[in-house]
Amino acid sequence: MPSPTETSIRGSIAICGLGVTPMGKIYDRDARDFAAEAIQLALADAGLVKTDLDGLLINAGIGPAGAINLQLQNQLGLHDLRLLNHMNAQGATAASMVQYAALAVHHGMANYVACVFADAPLREGRGAGAAYGGAGAGRGGPTGIASLTSAYGFFGANTGYALAARRYMDLYGVTSDQLGAVAVAQRQWAMMNPHATKRSPITIDDYHNSRWIVEPLHLLDCCLVTNGAVAVIVTSAERAQAAASDPAYIWGMGQGHPGNDRRAGRDPYTSSGATLSKRTAFAMAGVDNDDVDVCELYDCYTYTVLRTIEDYGFCEKGEAGSFVADGRTKPGGSFPLNTGGGQLSSFYMWGMTPLAEGVEQARGGAGDRQVDKHDIVLVSGNGGTLDTHATLVLGAQPN
Amino acid sequence: MTVDQAPQKPIPVADQASAPWFEAAKQHRLLLQRCDDCDAYRFPAWPRCDNCWSINWHWATASGKGTVYSWARMHQVYMPGFADDVPYTLAIVELDEGPRMNTNLVDTDPATLKAGLRVGVVFDDITDQIALPKFRPASDA
Repeated sequence: MPSPTETSIRGSIAICGLGVTPMGKIYDRDARDFAAEAIQLALADAGLVKTDLDGLLINAGIGPAGAINLQLQNQLGLHDLRLLNHMNAQGATAASMVQYAALAVHHGMANYVACVFADAPLREGRGAGAAYGGAGAGRGGPTGIASLTSAYGFFGANTGYALAARRYMDLYGVTSDQLGAVAVAQRQWAMMNPHATKRSPITIDDYHNSRWIVEPLHLLDCCLVTNGAVAVIVTSAERAQAAASDPAYIWGMGQGHPGNDRRAGRDPYTSSGATLSKRTAFAMAGVDNDDVDVCELYDCYTYTVLRTIEDYGFCEKGEAGSFVADGRTKPGGSFPLNTGGGQLSSFYMWGMTPLAEGVEQARGGAGDRQVDKHDIVLVSGNGGTLDTHATLVLGAQPN
Repeated sequence: MTVDQAPQKPIPVADQASAPWFEAAKQHRLLLQRCDDCDAYRFPAWPRCDNCWSINWHWATASGKGTVYSWARMHQVYMPGFADDVPYTLAIVELDEGPRMNTNLVDTDPATLKAGLRVGVVFDDITDQIALPKFRPASDA
């Protein structure tokens, strides 16, 4: 292990509470109510009470009705907060909120900061795809050059990732079978996760038979859409050691946002911000790839997982397909990955999905799916179409 | 359902800043903004050069030639106007001038679709005011 950087916060900050609400097609509650429950659960997990909280960071999903905002403070009756913000770096927000909370706690700005993501995009009778479909043209939509997008039939997040995956497949010869291997492995982990919303096994044939969404993406290449909320409580390592649950210590933090200026010379679809983010986070943590025991990587699509594995340097560029297809990411394998089933099979709470599982693995609370060696857990966040990236390195021990 | 009542695809709406672009497209010319100071081409159109931050620019006619950066086949019907087209080919084409633009590939054998394919622009007159630049395999390599 290399040494941590001089300015590292390794050893001083931890997550002391985790709250995960019921997940899925729950239609009679809005995001605010889910958020309140998640925070309540996280406080109970930490053995804290409402008046202990002096920081609140929120990340609203796509909404729309009942989306959380700064009024959550008042819906929870929280007084005299010393840290409050509504943050949005898309799927990189969860890790970013924890980073901001860690920095604030480290410098004495707050003692216990709740970081919450909540969303309730699913509505009874409306398909999951409609929630993220993004067909906004013609109803007060954009004008000018921006109005071309829908005229060409580009809709939703699926399109961006389909284009990204296709380029990767064309350049490196990665196959549909290899994308499918990601989905199949993660479903096996989900079957052991009581939080997961998809727990029936899938085969590679099931994967190929799942309908095309935007080719090369099948339905089983795409993450779920979920109603629910997740909250974590960030505090000092000392206070975390006195809390009711075992801490998940924060060893390293980083971000990387490559920019997509849509011109020749850069290739953001085959090179994400993970490499830049890793450099900062691993240096702060004083770890390298061989030290990582468990990976919880943002998996909005199977391709995102392959992209991230390569960009963190676990294998060469173009090799992640065969890396996963040989089975090492499955339960019992040498590279435990997305051990709760991830966004593909468990639930979709943006960056809180990998973070929630990472916290449980780091502190040894993952039950049937607990990985035996869990000293160092890597958590990634990813947003837009590989536009934003954030890293947390979690540790089972403070140092 | 008569043709008049069939659901429409969205029609782009020109605005003051983009009016010259849409006018040129109607005449089957592809325009790009070009920075007066650093010569970089850009698309979509912004008032400020993203390379050197200059606010001095002009419209330049593009060659219409490019390379497929990526492509995908849309199978979902997000808007009823596309129901008869599905599956259709989306693409990002990297123009020889540098900018990448979202578009459709037409007149293309799906078996030949690949990142790196050379393409050239064609115009689809979707109304008498609006033509959309689309791309098909180029006859020159």
